[in-house]
Amino acid sequence: MKLKKLIAGMLLVMMVAAVFTGCKKEESTGEDNSLQKVKDAGKLVLGLDDSFPPMGFRNEDNKIVGFDIDVATEVCKRMGVELELQPIDWNAKEMELNSGNIDCIWNGMSIDASRQEKMNLSEPYLRNEMIFVVAADSGIETFADLADKAVAVQNGSTAQTILENSDVYDTLKEATSFDDNVTAFLTLEAGGCQAVFLDSVVAEYYITENDKDFVILEENLQEEEYAIGFRKADQKLRDEVQKILSEMKKDGTLGEISAKWFGSDITIVE
Amino acid sequence: MDLAKLLPILFEGLEVTLQIFALTLILSIPLGVIVALLKMSKIKIVSWVTGVYILIMRGTPLMLQILFIYFAPYFLFRAQTPDRFNAVIIAFAINYAAYFAEIFRGGIQSMPIGQYEAADALGYTKAQTFLRIILPQVVKRVLPSVANEVITLIKDTSLAQVIAVTELFALANKQATGTSSVIPLFVAGVFYFVLNWILTKLFDYIEKKLDYYK
Repeated sequence: MKLKKLIAGMLLVMMVAAVFTGCKKEESTGEDNSLQKVKDAGKLVLGLDDSFPPMGFRNEDNKIVGFDIDVATEVCKRMGVELELQPIDWNAKEMELNSGNIDCIWNGMSIDASRQEKMNLSEPYLRNEMIFVVAADSGIETFADLADKAVAVQNGSTAQTILENSDVYDTLKEATSFDDNVTAFLTLEAGGCQAVFLDSVVAEYYITENDKDFVILEENLQEEEYAIGFRKADQKLRDEVQKILSEMKKDGTLGEISAKWFGSDITIVE
Repeated sequence: MDLAKLLPILFEGLEVTLQIFALTLILSIPLGVIVALLKMSKIKIVSWVTGVYILIMRGTPLMLQILFIYFAPYFLFRAQTPDRFNAVIIAFAINYAAYFAEIFRGGIQSMPIGQYEAADALGYTKAQTFLRIILPQVVKRVLPSVANEVITLIKDTSLAQVIAVTELFALANKQATGTSSVIPLFVAGVFYFVLNWILTKLFDYIEKKLDYYK
């Protein structure tokens, strides 16, 4: 009986492991009909974590808005399909994409090696810096001033990885991770930490939108780029979206949307 | 923060939370009774399999079970992914059924053997004994434990957000992020508190009603 129980338990663990590592056989259909599928369905399903201002978030009317949403709406209009927004849990984004629940991840997603390997990424469309935000009256101006200070960072973000691999990290008193950047900012305001480490795009929007007495340190740790993620096999769909983005850059539409959210055209689409 | 705008939004989330709550109870309580009876079965294999089921349900996080129900069909069998909401209901129902089953089993087994013997002497059949004599007493005995689970369930509904079902807590969180304010979270807390307050009063009332021998 004991052995049987053990085997049953191991089988379960294996099943769970199979699901969560996404270990699976590659489909070998060969044909890439990704673009046709979207056109036939008449809609592009965009997956996003709808709590990431200013890229995609819920406004006071509970509508999902943001820079990425405006751009995606225009891209879909030009493709002749509807845009459908599907909120997802950010930690499960690869699973949502691979199981076909969504067609793309378009949510201020930073490019990194593991994402490049798991997804078919578009060309970068926005440049972003990883920066420290401190209170204006804190007297912190350089990395050296951060020694023995507590820093807050978003859990599971590329910011967390970058911070932990940096030289500054060793001089810090502690690095606390939070579920989202707003909680990190609240902690900063409440004095629970002396700095927040995050994306400059998000930080600038937060500070201006909420009129907070925070400043961004001149020094930055690393530059990053945002891209759209598609399924590995969906080359045609990716290329079509990329082509439309380039057209939008040329005719100034992309610049207009950028100016609306960031004050100027900061996109890097070619 | 405009409360007049926030409240209707949070009520949308509350609706989802209450749907998960109600459907889970409707499904898991009868299922729990069945599982309890299977666990007490004299057929060894039936009781063993039921034991394994309860072990898995209580031994792994509900959050993981929700993810499993939702993603397993595709990643294991390349089948259609279930509807998000349905996946949540299935996961909650089979998880809570395991807990309810153990509560019911405890209640049923706490009845003294003398009652069965007395019923037998009076000529009651097995089914009559269970339905007319044992069950009414079991209901009284398990009520406080069931109330515990039901109150926990209200708060557990927030786990549905792992597969992006936007219930009350998820919605409040998104509103908090979108508007950079903690008020939505605070208001959601009040919602949960009021719900459980009502439930506590309701269970108190039922307990008093059932206390017909005092």
